[in-house]
Amino acid sequence: MSSLQSMQLRLQQAVMAAAASSPPELVGDGIADAKTRLAIYRHGYRARLREALAGEFPALASLAGRRFPSLLDRYAEACPSEHYNLRWHGAGMAAFLRYALPWRERPAFAEAAELDWAISTCFDAADEPAIDAEALAAIAPDAWAGLRLAPPQHLQWLALHSNVDAFRSAADSAASRPHLRRRAQPRQLIVWRQGLTVRYRALEPMESALLAAAARGEPFATLCEIAAGHAPPGQAVARLAVLLRGWVDAGLIGALQPGET
Amino acid sequence: MSHIDNDRPPYLGYGLGLRVEHYQELLDHPHGVDWLEIVSENYMVPGGLPLVWLERFRARFPLVMHGVSLSIGGTDPLDDGYLARLDALARRIEPAWVSDHLCWTGVQGVNLHDLMPLPYTEEALDHVVARVRQVQDRLRRRILLENVSSYLRFADAQLEEWEFLAAVAERADCLLLLDINNVYVSARNHGFDPLRYLDGVPVQRVQQFHLAGHEQGEALLVDTHDAPVPSPVWALYEAAVRRFGAVSTMIERDDHMPPLRELVAELDDARRLAEPLLRAAA
Repeated sequence: MSSLQSMQLRLQQAVMAAAASSPPELVGDGIADAKTRLAIYRHGYRARLREALAGEFPALASLAGRRFPSLLDRYAEACPSEHYNLRWHGAGMAAFLRYALPWRERPAFAEAAELDWAISTCFDAADEPAIDAEALAAIAPDAWAGLRLAPPQHLQWLALHSNVDAFRSAADSAASRPHLRRRAQPRQLIVWRQGLTVRYRALEPMESALLAAAARGEPFATLCEIAAGHAPPGQAVARLAVLLRGWVDAGLIGALQPGET
Repeated sequence: MSHIDNDRPPYLGYGLGLRVEHYQELLDHPHGVDWLEIVSENYMVPGGLPLVWLERFRARFPLVMHGVSLSIGGTDPLDDGYLARLDALARRIEPAWVSDHLCWTGVQGVNLHDLMPLPYTEEALDHVVARVRQVQDRLRRRILLENVSSYLRFADAQLEEWEFLAAVAERADCLLLLDINNVYVSARNHGFDPLRYLDGVPVQRVQQFHLAGHEQGEALLVDTHDAPVPSPVWALYEAAVRRFGAVSTMIERDDHMPPLRELVAELDDARRLAEPLLRAAA
Protein backbone atom coordinates (compact mmCIF):
# COMPACT_ATOMS: atom_id res chain seq x y z
CA MET A 1 0.00 0.00 0.00
CA SER A 2 1.44 3.38 -1.01
CA SER A 3 1.71 6.16 1.56
CA LEU A 4 -0.95 8.10 -0.37
CA GLN A 5 -3.28 5.11 -0.23
CA SER A 6 -2.77 4.50 3.49
CA MET A 7 -3.22 8.22 4.23
CA GLN A 8 -6.51 8.29 2.33
CA LEU A 9 -7.76 5.22 4.15
CA ARG A 10 -6.90 6.67 7.58
CA LEU A 11 -8.43 10.03 6.69
CA GLN A 12 -11.59 8.39 5.38
CA GLN A 13 -11.92 6.38 8.59
CA ALA A 14 -11.46 9.57 10.62
CA VAL A 15 -14.19 11.32 8.64
CA MET A 16 -16.64 8.44 9.02
CA ALA A 17 -15.86 7.43 12.63
CA ALA A 18 -18.35 8.13 15.38
CA ALA A 19 -15.60 9.50 17.64
CA ALA A 20 -13.26 12.23 16.41
CA SER A 21 -9.55 11.43 16.14
CA SER A 22 -7.05 13.05 13.84
CA PRO A 23 -4.69 10.93 11.69
CA PRO A 24 -0.98 11.63 12.27
CA GLU A 25 -0.57 13.07 8.77
CA LEU A 26 -2.67 16.09 9.67
CA VAL A 27 -1.29 19.13 11.44
CA GLY A 28 -2.69 22.38 12.73
CA ASP A 29 -1.34 25.91 12.73
CA GLY A 30 -2.01 29.31 14.30
CA ILE A 31 -5.33 29.55 12.44
CA ALA A 32 -6.88 26.23 13.51
CA ASP A 33 -5.72 22.95 15.00
CA ALA A 34 -5.92 19.65 13.10
CA LYS A 35 -9.07 18.50 14.90
CA THR A 36 -10.95 21.71 14.05
CA ARG A 37 -9.92 21.38 10.42
CA LEU A 38 -11.00 17.73 10.25
CA ALA A 39 -14.33 18.58 11.92
CA ILE A 40 -15.48 20.41 8.80
CA TYR A 41 -15.28 17.19 6.78
CA ARG A 42 -16.81 15.08 9.56
CA HIS A 43 -19.77 17.40 9.90
CA GLY A 44 -20.17 17.82 6.13
CA TYR A 45 -20.17 14.05 5.53
CA ARG A 46 -23.07 13.41 7.91
CA ALA A 47 -25.05 16.48 6.88
CA ARG A 48 -24.78 15.66 3.18
CA LEU A 49 -25.88 12.03 3.54
CA ARG A 50 -28.74 12.99 5.83
CA GLU A 51 -30.00 15.69 3.47
CA ALA A 52 -29.80 13.47 0.38
CA LEU A 53 -31.54 10.53 2.05
CA ALA A 54 -34.26 12.69 3.56
CA GLY A 55 -35.21 13.86 0.08
CA GLU A 56 -35.56 10.30 -1.23
CA PHE A 57 -37.77 8.87 1.53
CA PRO A 58 -40.84 11.06 2.18
CA ALA A 59 -43.12 8.17 3.22
CA LEU A 60 -40.49 6.79 5.58
CA ALA A 61 -39.88 10.29 7.00
CA SER A 62 -43.57 10.72 7.66
CA LEU A 63 -43.87 7.29 9.25
CA ALA A 64 -40.73 7.59 11.39
CA GLY A 65 -41.48 11.15 12.53
CA ARG A 66 -38.91 12.49 15.01
CA ARG A 67 -36.99 9.19 14.88
CA PHE A 68 -36.14 9.79 11.21
CA PRO A 69 -32.82 11.71 11.68
CA SER A 70 -31.38 9.02 13.97
CA LEU A 71 -32.58 6.32 11.58
CA LEU A 72 -30.69 8.05 8.75
CA ASP A 73 -27.54 8.33 10.83
CA ARG A 74 -27.67 4.64 11.73
CA TYR A 75 -28.15 3.72 8.07
CA ALA A 76 -25.24 5.92 6.97
CA GLU A 77 -23.02 4.31 9.63
CA ALA A 78 -24.02 0.76 8.65
CA CYS A 79 -24.11 1.30 4.88
CA PRO A 80 -21.58 3.85 3.58
CA SER A 81 -22.28 5.18 0.10
CA GLU A 82 -20.65 3.24 -2.71
CA HIS A 83 -22.29 5.00 -5.65
CA TYR A 84 -21.04 8.01 -7.59
CA ASN A 85 -24.48 9.59 -7.34
CA LEU A 86 -25.40 10.57 -3.78
CA ARG A 87 -29.06 9.97 -4.61
CA TRP A 88 -28.36 6.25 -5.01
CA HIS A 89 -27.08 5.86 -1.46
CA GLY A 90 -30.64 4.95 -0.46
CA ALA A 91 -30.64 1.71 -2.49
CA GLY A 92 -30.06 -0.42 0.61
CA MET A 93 -32.45 1.35 2.97
CA ALA A 94 -35.34 -1.14 2.78
CA ALA A 95 -33.00 -4.12 3.30
CA PHE A 96 -31.33 -2.34 6.24
CA LEU A 97 -34.67 -1.69 7.91
CA ARG A 98 -35.64 -5.35 7.48
CA TYR A 99 -32.70 -6.64 9.55
CA ALA A 100 -31.62 -3.79 11.85
CA LEU A 101 -33.07 -3.36 15.32
CA PRO A 102 -35.31 -1.71 16.36
CA TRP A 103 -36.82 -1.14 12.91
CA ARG A 104 -37.14 -4.79 11.92
CA GLU A 105 -39.82 -5.02 14.60
CA ARG A 106 -41.78 -2.37 12.68
CA PRO A 107 -42.08 -3.87 9.19
CA ALA A 108 -44.00 -0.85 7.90
CA PHE A 109 -40.70 1.09 7.97
CA ALA A 110 -39.12 -1.26 5.41
CA GLU A 111 -42.30 -1.18 3.31
CA ALA A 112 -42.27 2.62 3.29
CA ALA A 113 -38.62 2.62 2.22
CA GLU A 114 -39.39 0.07 -0.48
CA LEU A 115 -42.19 2.23 -1.89
CA ASP A 116 -40.14 5.43 -1.76
CA TRP A 117 -37.23 3.72 -3.48
CA ALA A 118 -39.44 2.21 -6.21
CA ILE A 119 -40.82 5.68 -6.96
CA SER A 120 -37.32 7.12 -7.00
CA THR A 121 -35.94 4.52 -9.41
CA CYS A 122 -38.95 4.77 -11.74
CA PHE A 123 -38.38 8.53 -11.97
CA ASP A 124 -35.28 8.22 -14.15
CA ALA A 125 -35.66 4.65 -15.44
CA ALA A 126 -34.98 4.09 -19.14
CA ASP A 127 -37.62 5.58 -21.43
CA GLU A 128 -39.97 2.95 -22.88
CA PRO A 129 -42.80 3.20 -25.41
CA ALA A 130 -46.42 2.55 -24.45
CA ILE A 131 -49.15 1.47 -26.83
CA ASP A 132 -52.35 3.46 -27.34
CA ALA A 133 -55.97 2.41 -27.90
CA GLU A 134 -55.53 2.54 -31.67
CA ALA A 135 -52.91 -0.20 -31.48
CA LEU A 136 -55.41 -2.43 -29.67
CA ALA A 137 -58.16 -1.65 -32.18
CA ALA A 138 -55.89 -2.67 -35.04
CA ILE A 139 -55.47 -6.25 -33.78
CA ALA A 140 -57.17 -8.78 -36.02
CA PRO A 141 -59.83 -10.87 -34.21
CA ASP A 142 -58.03 -14.16 -34.85
CA ALA A 143 -54.74 -12.75 -33.45
CA TRP A 144 -56.04 -12.11 -29.94
CA ALA A 145 -55.70 -15.62 -28.51
CA GLY A 146 -51.94 -15.76 -28.95
CA LEU A 147 -51.29 -12.07 -28.28
CA ARG A 148 -48.90 -11.17 -25.46
CA LEU A 149 -49.24 -7.83 -23.64
CA ALA A 150 -45.86 -6.72 -22.34
CA PRO A 151 -45.87 -4.27 -19.40
CA PRO A 152 -42.93 -1.83 -19.23
CA GLN A 153 -39.62 -3.15 -17.93
CA HIS A 154 -39.52 -0.58 -15.13
CA LEU A 155 -42.85 -1.75 -13.61
CA GLN A 156 -42.28 -2.68 -9.96
CA TRP A 157 -44.43 -4.84 -7.67
CA LEU A 158 -44.68 -4.40 -3.93
CA ALA A 159 -46.55 -6.63 -1.48
CA LEU A 160 -47.61 -4.32 1.35
CA HIS A 161 -49.08 -5.27 4.71
CA SER A 162 -49.47 -1.61 5.69
CA ASN A 163 -50.88 1.57 4.16
CA VAL A 164 -47.52 3.21 3.52
CA ASP A 165 -48.84 4.46 0.16
CA ALA A 166 -51.21 6.69 2.12
CA PHE A 167 -48.18 8.11 3.96
CA ARG A 168 -46.47 8.80 0.65
CA SER A 169 -49.55 10.47 -0.85
CA ALA A 170 -49.97 12.61 2.25
CA ALA A 171 -46.30 13.62 2.21
CA ASP A 172 -46.40 14.53 -1.50
CA SER A 173 -49.51 16.66 -1.08
CA ALA A 174 -48.50 18.16 2.28
CA ALA A 175 -51.63 16.60 3.82
CA SER A 176 -51.86 15.49 7.43
CA ARG A 177 -50.21 12.24 8.44
CA PRO A 178 -52.59 9.24 8.21
CA HIS A 179 -52.96 6.54 10.85
CA LEU A 180 -50.90 3.42 10.29
CA ARG A 181 -53.05 0.42 9.41
CA ARG A 182 -51.91 -3.15 9.06
CA ARG A 183 -53.57 -6.09 7.36
CA ALA A 184 -52.88 -9.80 7.62
CA GLN A 185 -52.83 -10.39 3.86
CA PRO A 186 -50.63 -8.17 1.72
CA ARG A 187 -52.00 -5.87 -0.97
CA GLN A 188 -50.24 -5.82 -4.33
CA LEU A 189 -49.15 -2.33 -5.29
CA ILE A 190 -47.54 -1.38 -8.59
CA VAL A 191 -45.20 1.51 -9.32
CA TRP A 192 -44.61 2.63 -12.90
CA ARG A 193 -43.98 5.68 -15.03
CA GLN A 194 -46.57 6.97 -17.48
CA GLY A 195 -44.61 9.22 -19.81
CA LEU A 196 -42.66 11.35 -17.33
CA THR A 197 -45.03 10.94 -14.38
CA VAL A 198 -44.40 8.26 -11.74
CA ARG A 199 -47.62 6.57 -10.62
CA TYR A 200 -48.51 3.95 -8.03
CA ARG A 201 -51.71 2.18 -7.06
CA ALA A 202 -52.96 -0.93 -5.34
CA LEU A 203 -54.45 -3.76 -7.41
CA GLU A 204 -57.47 -5.90 -6.63
CA PRO A 205 -56.66 -9.66 -6.71
CA MET A 206 -58.13 -10.23 -10.19
CA GLU A 207 -56.23 -7.36 -11.78
CA SER A 208 -53.07 -8.35 -9.93
CA ALA A 209 -53.29 -11.93 -11.21
CA LEU A 210 -53.93 -10.77 -14.78
CA LEU A 211 -51.18 -8.15 -14.91
CA ALA A 212 -48.71 -10.57 -13.32
CA ALA A 213 -49.61 -13.17 -15.96
CA ALA A 214 -49.10 -10.60 -18.71
CA ALA A 215 -45.71 -9.72 -17.20
CA ARG A 216 -44.78 -13.43 -17.27
CA GLY A 217 -45.53 -13.45 -21.01
CA GLU A 218 -48.74 -15.48 -20.86
CA PRO A 219 -50.90 -15.18 -24.03
CA PHE A 220 -54.26 -13.44 -24.01
CA ALA A 221 -56.10 -16.77 -24.04
CA THR A 222 -54.51 -17.59 -20.68
CA LEU A 223 -55.52 -14.18 -19.32
CA CYS A 224 -59.11 -15.04 -20.29
CA GLU A 225 -58.88 -18.30 -18.32
CA ILE A 226 -57.51 -16.44 -15.28
CA ALA A 227 -60.28 -13.85 -15.56
CA ALA A 228 -62.88 -16.64 -15.69
CA GLY A 229 -61.49 -17.95 -12.41
CA HIS A 230 -62.04 -14.58 -10.67
CA ALA A 231 -65.15 -13.04 -12.27
CA PRO A 232 -68.78 -14.08 -11.85
CA PRO A 233 -70.00 -16.41 -14.61
CA GLY A 234 -70.38 -14.66 -17.96
CA GLN A 235 -68.58 -11.48 -16.90
CA ALA A 236 -64.95 -12.47 -17.37
CA VAL A 237 -64.46 -11.10 -20.89
CA ALA A 238 -66.21 -7.81 -20.10
CA ARG A 239 -64.13 -7.34 -16.90
CA LEU A 240 -60.96 -8.16 -18.76
CA ALA A 241 -61.82 -5.68 -21.52
CA VAL A 242 -62.32 -2.89 -18.95
CA LEU A 243 -59.03 -3.70 -17.25
CA LEU A 244 -57.20 -3.87 -20.55
CA ARG A 245 -58.47 -0.46 -21.59
CA GLY A 246 -57.43 0.91 -18.19
CA TRP A 247 -53.91 -0.51 -18.59
CA VAL A 248 -53.55 1.06 -22.01
CA ASP A 249 -54.81 4.44 -20.78
CA ALA A 250 -52.35 4.30 -17.85
CA GLY A 251 -49.34 3.43 -19.99
CA LEU A 252 -49.08 -0.05 -18.48
CA ILE A 253 -48.71 -1.89 -21.80
CA GLY A 254 -45.37 -1.22 -23.41
CA ALA A 255 -45.67 -3.53 -26.39
CA LEU A 256 -47.93 -6.04 -28.13
CA GLN A 257 -46.23 -9.25 -29.16
CA PRO A 258 -48.12 -11.41 -31.69
CA GLY A 259 -48.39 -15.12 -30.95
CA GLU A 260 -46.73 -17.78 -33.06
CA THR A 261 -48.84 -18.75 -36.08
CA MET B 1 -3.48 5.73 -27.07
CA SER B 2 -6.66 7.19 -28.53
CA HIS B 3 -6.77 10.61 -30.17
CA ILE B 4 -7.26 13.54 -27.80
CA ASP B 5 -8.86 16.72 -29.04
CA ASN B 6 -6.29 19.35 -28.06
CA ASP B 7 -8.13 22.33 -29.51
CA ARG B 8 -8.75 25.05 -26.97
CA PRO B 9 -12.49 25.17 -26.14
CA PRO B 10 -14.33 28.40 -27.02
CA TYR B 11 -14.83 31.41 -24.73
CA LEU B 12 -18.48 31.29 -23.63
CA GLY B 13 -18.96 34.52 -21.66
CA TYR B 14 -20.99 34.54 -18.43
CA GLY B 15 -22.96 31.52 -17.24
CA LEU B 16 -24.80 29.89 -14.37
CA GLY B 17 -24.84 26.48 -12.76
CA LEU B 18 -28.08 24.77 -13.82
CA ARG B 19 -30.24 23.99 -10.78
CA VAL B 20 -33.70 22.41 -10.65
CA GLU B 21 -35.18 25.44 -8.89
CA HIS B 22 -34.61 27.59 -12.00
CA TYR B 23 -35.48 25.13 -14.78
CA GLN B 24 -38.67 26.73 -16.12
CA GLU B 25 -37.65 30.31 -15.38
CA LEU B 26 -34.40 29.87 -17.29
CA LEU B 27 -36.25 28.64 -20.37
CA ASP B 28 -38.82 31.44 -20.08
CA HIS B 29 -36.29 34.19 -19.34
CA PRO B 30 -32.87 33.18 -20.70
CA HIS B 31 -31.68 36.77 -21.09
CA GLY B 32 -28.36 37.55 -19.46
CA VAL B 33 -27.20 33.93 -19.21
CA ASP B 34 -24.73 32.99 -21.94
CA TRP B 35 -24.18 29.34 -21.01
CA LEU B 36 -24.95 26.70 -18.39
CA GLU B 37 -22.87 24.27 -16.35
CA ILE B 38 -24.56 20.99 -15.41
CA VAL B 39 -23.55 18.61 -12.62
CA SER B 40 -22.68 15.57 -14.75
CA GLU B 41 -23.81 12.92 -12.27
CA ASN B 42 -27.36 14.33 -12.13
CA TYR B 43 -27.84 13.42 -15.79
CA MET B 44 -25.91 10.12 -15.90
CA VAL B 45 -29.26 8.32 -15.64
CA PRO B 46 -31.09 5.91 -17.98
CA GLY B 47 -34.00 8.25 -18.89
CA GLY B 48 -36.96 10.21 -17.57
CA LEU B 49 -37.44 13.85 -16.72
CA PRO B 50 -33.79 14.87 -16.08
CA LEU B 51 -32.78 14.06 -19.65
CA VAL B 52 -35.91 15.67 -21.10
CA TRP B 53 -35.06 18.93 -19.33
CA LEU B 54 -31.44 18.61 -20.37
CA GLU B 55 -32.41 18.41 -24.04
CA ARG B 56 -34.53 21.54 -23.65
CA PHE B 57 -31.57 23.45 -22.22
CA ARG B 58 -29.23 22.02 -24.80
CA ALA B 59 -31.43 23.53 -27.53
CA ARG B 60 -31.14 26.99 -25.93
CA PHE B 61 -27.70 27.26 -24.28
CA PRO B 62 -24.12 26.09 -24.73
CA LEU B 63 -23.53 23.50 -21.99
CA VAL B 64 -20.48 22.38 -20.05
CA MET B 65 -20.27 19.31 -17.80
CA HIS B 66 -18.97 19.52 -14.23
CA GLY B 67 -18.52 16.29 -12.27
CA VAL B 68 -18.08 15.60 -8.56
CA SER B 69 -17.20 11.89 -8.45
CA LEU B 70 -14.27 11.31 -10.81
CA SER B 71 -11.93 11.06 -7.80
CA ILE B 72 -8.91 11.88 -9.90
CA GLY B 73 -6.69 11.84 -6.80
CA GLY B 74 -8.17 8.65 -5.36
CA THR B 75 -6.12 5.50 -4.96
CA ASP B 76 -8.85 3.05 -6.00
CA PRO B 77 -8.65 2.21 -9.72
CA LEU B 78 -10.57 4.64 -11.91
CA ASP B 79 -14.19 3.49 -12.17
CA ASP B 80 -14.70 2.16 -15.72
CA GLY B 81 -18.49 2.18 -15.36
CA TYR B 82 -18.45 5.79 -14.24
CA LEU B 83 -16.19 6.82 -17.11
CA ALA B 84 -18.38 4.98 -19.63
CA ARG B 85 -21.48 6.83 -18.41
CA LEU B 86 -19.63 10.14 -18.34
CA ASP B 87 -18.45 9.53 -21.89
CA ALA B 88 -21.96 8.56 -23.01
CA LEU B 89 -23.39 11.78 -21.59
CA ALA B 90 -20.64 13.84 -23.23
CA ARG B 91 -21.36 12.17 -26.58
CA ARG B 92 -25.06 12.86 -26.13
CA ILE B 93 -24.92 16.57 -25.25
CA GLU B 94 -21.57 17.55 -26.82
CA PRO B 95 -20.53 19.97 -24.07
CA ALA B 96 -17.97 22.70 -24.70
CA TRP B 97 -15.85 20.96 -22.04
CA VAL B 98 -15.87 18.45 -19.20
CA SER B 99 -14.52 19.27 -15.74
CA ASP B 100 -14.14 17.76 -12.29
CA HIS B 101 -12.16 18.52 -9.13
CA LEU B 102 -8.54 18.09 -8.11
CA CYS B 103 -9.39 15.89 -5.16
CA TRP B 104 -10.31 12.37 -4.07
CA THR B 105 -13.78 11.30 -2.98
CA GLY B 106 -13.22 7.98 -1.21
CA VAL B 107 -11.26 4.72 -1.15
CA GLN B 108 -11.99 1.01 -0.94
CA GLY B 109 -15.28 1.47 -2.77
CA VAL B 110 -16.67 4.11 -0.42
CA ASN B 111 -17.80 7.51 -1.70
CA LEU B 112 -17.67 10.27 0.93
CA HIS B 113 -19.43 12.62 -1.49
CA ASP B 114 -16.95 15.30 -0.55
CA LEU B 115 -14.03 16.91 -2.32
CA MET B 116 -11.19 15.63 -0.15
CA PRO B 117 -7.91 17.51 -0.55
CA LEU B 118 -4.67 15.86 -1.58
CA PRO B 119 -1.34 16.24 0.16
CA TYR B 120 0.78 18.35 -2.18
CA THR B 121 3.62 15.84 -2.52
CA GLU B 122 5.63 14.48 -5.44
CA GLU B 123 3.98 11.09 -4.90
CA ALA B 124 0.49 12.58 -5.20
CA LEU B 125 1.57 14.64 -8.22
CA ASP B 126 2.84 11.57 -10.12
CA HIS B 127 -0.33 9.70 -9.20
CA VAL B 128 -2.71 12.43 -10.35
CA VAL B 129 -0.84 13.16 -13.58
CA ALA B 130 -1.02 9.49 -14.62
CA ARG B 131 -4.75 9.34 -13.90
CA VAL B 132 -5.54 12.58 -15.73
CA ARG B 133 -3.82 11.13 -18.81
CA GLN B 134 -5.87 7.95 -18.44
CA VAL B 135 -9.13 9.90 -18.24
CA GLN B 136 -8.25 12.15 -21.16
CA ASP B 137 -7.41 9.11 -23.28
CA ARG B 138 -10.74 7.53 -22.32
CA LEU B 139 -12.79 10.67 -23.05
CA ARG B 140 -10.65 11.67 -26.06
CA ARG B 141 -10.56 15.25 -24.82
CA ARG B 142 -8.63 17.42 -22.41
CA ILE B 143 -10.46 17.84 -19.12
CA LEU B 144 -10.56 20.80 -16.73
CA LEU B 145 -9.64 20.33 -13.08
CA GLU B 146 -10.92 22.66 -10.38
CA ASN B 147 -9.01 23.75 -7.29
CA VAL B 148 -11.04 22.77 -4.21
CA SER B 149 -11.43 24.59 -0.92
CA SER B 150 -9.17 22.81 1.52
CA TYR B 151 -9.34 22.87 5.28
CA LEU B 152 -6.62 20.32 6.10
CA ARG B 153 -2.88 20.78 6.48
CA PHE B 154 -0.67 17.78 5.71
CA ALA B 155 2.59 17.37 7.60
CA ASP B 156 4.46 16.04 4.57
CA ALA B 157 3.36 18.69 2.00
CA GLN B 158 6.25 19.53 -0.33
CA LEU B 159 4.55 21.98 -2.69
CA GLU B 160 2.25 24.94 -2.37
CA GLU B 161 -1.25 24.30 -3.71
CA TRP B 162 -0.75 26.52 -6.76
CA GLU B 163 2.55 24.80 -7.55
CA PHE B 164 0.80 21.44 -7.42
CA LEU B 165 -2.10 22.68 -9.59
CA ALA B 166 0.26 24.17 -12.17
CA ALA B 167 2.41 21.03 -12.27
CA VAL B 168 -0.63 18.78 -12.79
CA ALA B 169 -1.87 20.97 -15.66
CA GLU B 170 1.53 21.18 -17.37
CA ARG B 171 2.58 17.55 -16.93
CA ALA B 172 -0.82 16.01 -17.74
CA ASP B 173 -1.63 18.61 -20.42
CA CYS B 174 -5.04 19.39 -18.96
CA LEU B 175 -6.89 22.67 -18.47
CA LEU B 176 -7.98 24.35 -15.26
CA LEU B 177 -11.21 25.58 -13.75
CA LEU B 178 -10.09 28.23 -11.30
CA ASP B 179 -12.59 28.70 -8.50
CA ILE B 180 -11.87 32.24 -7.28
CA ASN B 181 -13.88 31.73 -4.10
CA ASN B 182 -11.95 28.55 -3.31
CA VAL B 183 -8.65 30.38 -3.76
CA TYR B 184 -9.83 33.04 -1.32
CA VAL B 185 -11.22 30.53 1.21
CA SER B 186 -8.07 28.42 1.15
CA ALA B 187 -5.86 31.53 1.36
CA ARG B 188 -7.65 32.63 4.52
CA ASN B 189 -7.68 29.14 6.00
CA HIS B 190 -4.01 28.49 5.30
CA GLY B 191 -2.62 31.99 5.64
CA PHE B 192 -1.25 32.55 2.14
CA ASP B 193 -1.59 35.49 -0.24
CA PRO B 194 -4.30 34.72 -2.84
CA LEU B 195 -2.56 36.96 -5.39
CA ARG B 196 0.53 34.79 -5.08
CA TYR B 197 -1.71 31.83 -5.90
CA LEU B 198 -3.03 33.51 -9.06
CA ASP B 199 0.50 34.44 -10.12
CA GLY B 200 1.53 30.80 -9.82
CA VAL B 201 -1.14 29.46 -12.17
CA PRO B 202 -0.19 29.28 -15.86
CA VAL B 203 -2.34 31.72 -17.87
CA GLN B 204 -2.80 29.51 -20.93
CA ARG B 205 -4.24 26.63 -18.84
CA VAL B 206 -7.22 28.47 -17.31
CA GLN B 207 -10.46 27.84 -19.22
CA GLN B 208 -13.15 28.68 -16.66
CA PHE B 209 -13.75 30.68 -13.47
CA HIS B 210 -16.20 29.86 -10.69
CA LEU B 211 -17.53 32.64 -8.45
CA ALA B 212 -19.39 31.81 -5.25
CA GLY B 213 -19.99 32.79 -1.66
CA HIS B 214 -18.83 31.30 1.62
CA GLU B 215 -19.50 31.66 5.33
CA GLN B 216 -17.38 32.32 8.38
CA GLY B 217 -17.14 29.25 10.61
CA GLU B 218 -15.76 29.27 14.13
CA ALA B 219 -12.15 29.39 13.06
CA LEU B 220 -12.21 28.82 9.31
CA LEU B 221 -14.04 30.08 6.25
CA VAL B 222 -16.35 27.40 4.85
CA ASP B 223 -17.08 27.12 1.13
CA THR B 224 -20.85 26.84 1.36
CA HIS B 225 -22.04 28.19 -2.03
CA ASP B 226 -25.06 29.53 -0.18
CA ALA B 227 -24.51 33.28 -0.30
CA PRO B 228 -23.84 36.06 -2.83
CA VAL B 229 -20.27 36.58 -4.01
CA PRO B 230 -18.66 38.73 -1.27
CA SER B 231 -16.48 41.77 -1.94
CA PRO B 232 -13.07 40.12 -1.28
CA VAL B 233 -13.93 37.48 -3.91
CA TRP B 234 -14.97 40.18 -6.38
CA ALA B 235 -11.63 41.90 -5.75
CA LEU B 236 -9.79 38.65 -6.42
CA TYR B 237 -11.89 38.10 -9.55
CA GLU B 238 -10.79 41.51 -10.83
CA ALA B 239 -7.16 40.51 -10.28
CA ALA B 240 -7.84 37.20 -12.05
CA VAL B 241 -9.39 38.93 -15.09
CA ARG B 242 -6.36 41.21 -15.29
CA ARG B 243 -4.02 38.21 -15.23
CA PHE B 244 -5.92 35.58 -17.24
CA GLY B 245 -7.94 37.74 -19.66
CA ALA B 246 -11.22 36.55 -21.17
CA VAL B 247 -12.13 33.41 -19.23
CA SER B 248 -15.66 31.96 -19.20
CA THR B 249 -17.10 32.93 -15.82
CA MET B 250 -19.87 31.30 -13.83
CA ILE B 251 -21.79 31.97 -10.61
CA GLU B 252 -22.07 28.76 -8.59
CA ARG B 253 -24.91 28.62 -6.06
CA ASP B 254 -26.01 25.38 -4.39
CA ASP B 255 -27.99 26.36 -1.31
CA HIS B 256 -30.30 29.14 -0.05
CA MET B 257 -31.23 29.41 -3.70
CA PRO B 258 -32.36 32.93 -4.60
CA PRO B 259 -34.75 33.79 -7.45
CA LEU B 260 -33.11 33.54 -10.85
CA ARG B 261 -33.18 37.32 -11.33
CA GLU B 262 -30.82 37.74 -8.36
CA LEU B 263 -28.27 35.35 -9.85
CA VAL B 264 -28.60 37.03 -13.26
CA ALA B 265 -28.01 40.40 -11.55
CA GLU B 266 -24.90 38.95 -9.89
CA LEU B 267 -23.76 37.67 -13.26
CA ASP B 268 -24.25 41.18 -14.65
CA ASP B 269 -21.98 42.44 -11.88
CA ALA B 270 -19.30 40.05 -13.13
CA ARG B 271 -19.86 41.25 -16.68
CA ARG B 272 -19.66 44.92 -15.67
CA LEU B 273 -16.46 44.29 -13.75
CA ALA B 274 -14.69 42.20 -16.38
CA GLU B 275 -15.71 43.74 -19.71
CA PRO B 276 -14.03 47.17 -19.27
CA LEU B 277 -10.82 45.42 -18.19
CA LEU B 278 -10.93 43.13 -21.20
CA ARG B 279 -11.63 46.03 -23.59
CA ALA B 280 -8.77 48.02 -22.08
CA ALA B 281 -6.42 45.07 -22.50
CA ALA B 282 -7.49 44.41 -26.11
